[in-house]
Amino acid sequence: MIPKTRNSQAVWYLFLLPSLLGIILFMLYPVFESFRLSFFSSNGTIEKYVGLSNYKFILSLDVFWKAVFNTFYIAFFQLLITIPIGFVIACAINNIKWGKNLFKVLFYIPNVTSVVAAAMVFMFVLHPQGLLNNFFGIFGMSVAWLSKPNSARWAAIIFGSWQSIGFIIIIALANLQAIPVDYYEAATIDGSSKLQSFRHITIPLMKGTFSFFIVMGWINGLQRFTDVYILGGLQGSPARSLHTLVGFIFERGFGGYEFGIASAASYILLFLILFFTYLNVRTTEMKI
Amino acid sequence: MRDAKRGKKKIVPFDILAFFILLILGIIMIIPFVWMTVVSFERYANIQPPFPPSFKIRNPSLFNFKLAFENGYILRAYFNSFIVSASSVVVCLISSTLAGYAFSKGRFKGKKLLFYLILATLMIPLETRLIPMYMMFNKINMVNSFLPLILPYMIEGFQIMLSKQFFDHLPDSLREAAYIDGSGEFRTFFNIFLPLTGPITATMCILTFMASWNSFLWPLVMLTGAKSRTVPILMAYYSFTGEGGTRWAGLTMSVAFLGVIPVIVVFLFLQKYIIRSIALSGLKGE
Repeated sequence: MIPKTRNSQAVWYLFLLPSLLGIILFMLYPVFESFRLSFFSSNGTIEKYVGLSNYKFILSLDVFWKAVFNTFYIAFFQLLITIPIGFVIACAINNIKWGKNLFKVLFYIPNVTSVVAAAMVFMFVLHPQGLLNNFFGIFGMSVAWLSKPNSARWAAIIFGSWQSIGFIIIIALANLQAIPVDYYEAATIDGSSKLQSFRHITIPLMKGTFSFFIVMGWINGLQRFTDVYILGGLQGSPARSLHTLVGFIFERGFGGYEFGIASAASYILLFLILFFTYLNVRTTEMKI
Repeated sequence: MRDAKRGKKKIVPFDILAFFILLILGIIMIIPFVWMTVVSFERYANIQPPFPPSFKIRNPSLFNFKLAFENGYILRAYFNSFIVSASSVVVCLISSTLAGYAFSKGRFKGKKLLFYLILATLMIPLETRLIPMYMMFNKINMVNSFLPLILPYMIEGFQIMLSKQFFDHLPDSLREAAYIDGSGEFRTFFNIFLPLTGPITATMCILTFMASWNSFLWPLVMLTGAKSRTVPILMAYYSFTGEGGTRWAGLTMSVAFLGVIPVIVVFLFLQKYIIRSIALSGLKGE
């Protein structure tokens, strides 16, 4: 055994020095400073204590509630689309005999490219005469995606689903492959049909994966910014329909230099993320 | 035996059907990029909007790329992005392997508390820290420099956990043998443990490089000058020039092409490792 002396303890703090420095500079300090700022009116140079009025002001703003609504709406429908479809595609890839790698690559490509570039391409895909309407044209549909609030939100949902489904597929596939083949063989010997095996072996064993998707999906969804910023600009046009919580923080903080208000909004975001993570972990019985 | 054979034969038509459905879906996934490529090579795409979409290049030309390269912004952005991402990888690797090793093998006061602190950082979004971090770097005149983009990678909770788990699997006896030979903790770490971390280091490099290369919000806040733009920031700049609907399709698409294609090429070469790394980030119990 290696003796434990005062000196041998000290060396570990040296190992942790970069991380500790990082925690202090980029975690503890900003978190507390942000909290302090949320009670001040500040433009970066002049500060004035205003108590809770930043929070009161934000909660009284229509634009803020619109941003909350958009954030939740887009996140919810994106998860509703990507998790089941991604899971089914993962099952299909898992079961086919050839081309597993090809499909992994094909479905993952949108996720590996930067959201900015992909969203730029989608500006044209979503054009009234663009690719998407060409495709919907087969069914006699034509939507002015980025010019009406509701269809703009759905444009963001379609973009987000296209971009993120590869992640769901890769993770679901990895977890499907981690299920021992013996389970299925044993079930088959006991006379279980494929569907029964799927229902009673695959689904229960994938529960943890689904919880992971829901928990992570909400955390990422609440932080949505990049794609809606490219598609809708600083204000989340049209009619603020692509304005999200982070968009609100960014606009207030770096469009208007209202750092106090932005900090208060960022604390509301933190609270929402912690609350939803807690809720999702509880309801999905995720094991951490 | 015969049953198994019959079972296999039965599946074949279903297999072919599944294959083709997947193939169609897979092609739908990449069609936007195919179209992007077509438009970016189309000579008159800037004055003739590329609608309705066509997958034939009528007047193939490199004109759009010439436009994109003309002011030299793109090469500069590639250079910047590469410097930032590579440095972030180095910073993250040093910090995470050291911390992971300490949490795995070390015995010291406050170990549990510090580890929980690291786990807690996973829950705190960047947005909550954004404004103080900006003000902090602004105060010391570091806006438009790369250090603010690189240094925060000192603290990556997930990577620290990943490396701790890796070191947990390496036997303590290695350390004890080195200790008996008179090796100090740092020498043991650098000479014995670090060389064994190959697989996990590759994963950490890939995840960090991709995160840094694609990161947007924090660079958007920190980089305001034309010379310091990274690739995503430059692309966003292009996507906002040109008014509303009358964007220059050819130029925009060729810039998007230059942003997307190198990443896809690297991905195709490293797909096995990248996909494995991504999968690792979402496996149960990880």
